[in-house]
Amino acid sequence: MPRRRLSLRLALARALGLGAGALSRALGRGGGTAISGLVAQWVDPRLPRRVFSDPRVSVVAVSGSNGKTTTAGLLAGALRSAGRQVAHNSAGSNMVQGIATLALRAIDWSGRPISSTVVAEVDEGALLAMIDELDPLVLVVTNVVRDQLDRYGEIYAIAGALERAAEHQRPGSALVLCADDPLVAQLAPSHPRRRFVGLELAESHDRITSAADSIRCPICRTPLEYRAVYLGHLGDWRCPSCGLARPPLDVAVTRIDDGPGGSVIDLRVAPDRDLTVRIPQRGLHIGYDAALAVAAAAELGIDPGVATTAMADVRPAWGRLEQFEAAGRTVLLAFAKNPMSYRTVLPVLESQPAPVELLVAHSSSVVDGEDFGWLWDVEFDRLAPRLIRATVSGDRAAEIANRLAYADWPADRVRVVPDVIDGFSRALAATPAGGTLVVISGYSPLRSIVEHAQRHGWTRHFWEA
Amino acid sequence: MDLRILHLHPSVLNVAGDAGNVLALQQRARWRGLMVETRRVDPGEPIEPGWADITIIGGGQDVEMRVAAAGLREQADALRSSIEGGAVVFAVCAGLQLLGRVYVPATGEPIDGVSILDLETRGGPTRFMQHAACEVELQRSRAVVVGFENHSGLTELGPGARPFGRVVLGAGNNGRDGTEGARPADGSHVYATYLHGPILPKNPWLADRLLTAALARRHGAVELQPLPDGTETRAHEEALAAARRAKGRLTAIPAARLGRAR
Repeated sequence: MPRRRLSLRLALARALGLGAGALSRALGRGGGTAISGLVAQWVDPRLPRRVFSDPRVSVVAVSGSNGKTTTAGLLAGALRSAGRQVAHNSAGSNMVQGIATLALRAIDWSGRPISSTVVAEVDEGALLAMIDELDPLVLVVTNVVRDQLDRYGEIYAIAGALERAAEHQRPGSALVLCADDPLVAQLAPSHPRRRFVGLELAESHDRITSAADSIRCPICRTPLEYRAVYLGHLGDWRCPSCGLARPPLDVAVTRIDDGPGGSVIDLRVAPDRDLTVRIPQRGLHIGYDAALAVAAAAELGIDPGVATTAMADVRPAWGRLEQFEAAGRTVLLAFAKNPMSYRTVLPVLESQPAPVELLVAHSSSVVDGEDFGWLWDVEFDRLAPRLIRATVSGDRAAEIANRLAYADWPADRVRVVPDVIDGFSRALAATPAGGTLVVISGYSPLRSIVEHAQRHGWTRHFWEA
Repeated sequence: MDLRILHLHPSVLNVAGDAGNVLALQQRARWRGLMVETRRVDPGEPIEPGWADITIIGGGQDVEMRVAAAGLREQADALRSSIEGGAVVFAVCAGLQLLGRVYVPATGEPIDGVSILDLETRGGPTRFMQHAACEVELQRSRAVVVGFENHSGLTELGPGARPFGRVVLGAGNNGRDGTEGARPADGSHVYATYLHGPILPKNPWLADRLLTAALARRHGAVELQPLPDGTETRAHEEALAAARRAKGRLTAIPAARLGRAR
């Protein structure tokens, strides 16, 4: 009875994997989002492939440099409100083990799928290795920016890996691509179903700087021309030399109003159909994330009207411009891992009604990287007028402090506290009652701060986000 | 007194935060009361001969090398004449490779450099991505310079070049002979290194030596006022501690196929 033995193995892998995750949480070692998958794959290395290849399961993979977590969160919300049973790695555990954990959450004790749809956020460097076992019906690619270059070497190495992953096809599969990113718009041109999303705003919201990531034609390397620049190098672009241009948009963002309560976004989902979405999340990038989610949901047969209605209830993923109250102060957490993510959060900080206390934290780690040279491409000088005082933390605190000194931040308003929790506590204490502490942080320090806040009952567990 | 900085190919060779090197020179000059003028010149644009006191060339990605190399070859005469006139050139990574005779990538056609430095580079199987440090001697003074290396090119120096520094931690030019970077044997002011960081903000000793050499061209021997260098020194120590922990990766995934027909 080979089939029965196989499902027994699957069931054992699931039981031991989930047990390991529960043990990890009980011991206070975190959410168990990686250990579960590690253990389960040890018992049954083919577990993810078997779950994802089940004909009752549809897989959507969301990859790219920035915006994966938020896009996947909006998409999962839309699918749930359409009545789908969704498994989603919402805590952002997006490497091989995290995807294995996701697979075992999609099945019941007997190995039968309990989720009809899997929304898998996948690290852009790990996607290619997992594309066959994920075998996605829809692949969403957000953007390609410089990120973790000390891990992947070059932006073009990431683009190349995404290119080969995007060429993976199954019958009926679709690519949902951000057309405003020239490298992403050029992925897998021979794929039979590519859907494009982008912004269609009257005016630029950003400007091209020398530090922009991909501002040359992906085909002929000529500098691109932009009708409008929206965020970093994302915009309505064309090549003046070979004529390559942003493809026509299937879902276009035609308006974004950003306010303290969130964003109001107009989407053109068909030539004669416009929808307004309210999302309790901030920043121009939410427009991209929402449009990608609506387009991906449409590929799964979900009407955009249904998808957008659900987004009104999708709170920020942990640390993504997430706000909570702590000891009578407001804390705004802004995850930032590269110049592009700083470009998304700086306008939100600039729009704060009064100057703020600020904590900036970065540490070296496997996920945060070792090379923080990119901090010198962040326009910190823009923030100086919005500042009461900055505390800098993490094991790269000295690098941050030096960066701020060269951005002409006054030395007497920058305090170096390498320990992240100590830095957070002192910055919070220095924030006047009723005031706002803004935290801009890389992954590892932010996770420490979120766990600290959770111990005080100020916010949720990051794995519940 | 004034300082003229030329930032060469800023929108192409921009990937490693090397704008921080330009910022370090600008600020360290301004903080001493100097006027600073900075010009940015991309490939296809002319260099005004004799204008710059110091030219900065940053690190870039392998696919940008051909664009940068073609631009640099057109600008080479102006660059060479400014070097002969006593101007300083400071080049990082791709900048180092393109100042050499040739860059031979692992795949594809060789890329001709401008032969300002006597060196050749070949794409290797390993990408060195790690903290690194070297010992540098400049203007009869010696110091450890720390940064981050991220390159797969293996560089060999010819007889007309000597190393910019001696490897203390990391791989240096080729992971084999202990040399880091290059400068001309004739003593002209071209300094090239593989070290990203950006290195000038956290190696103020080096930044000030480059400033001194740059100012000497039009202003003669200048005694630079000392700066407090508190944050700089701590950033240097932090980076050196990271280099001693010797974390980093020696892997790479192949780059995209670009320029294919649609």
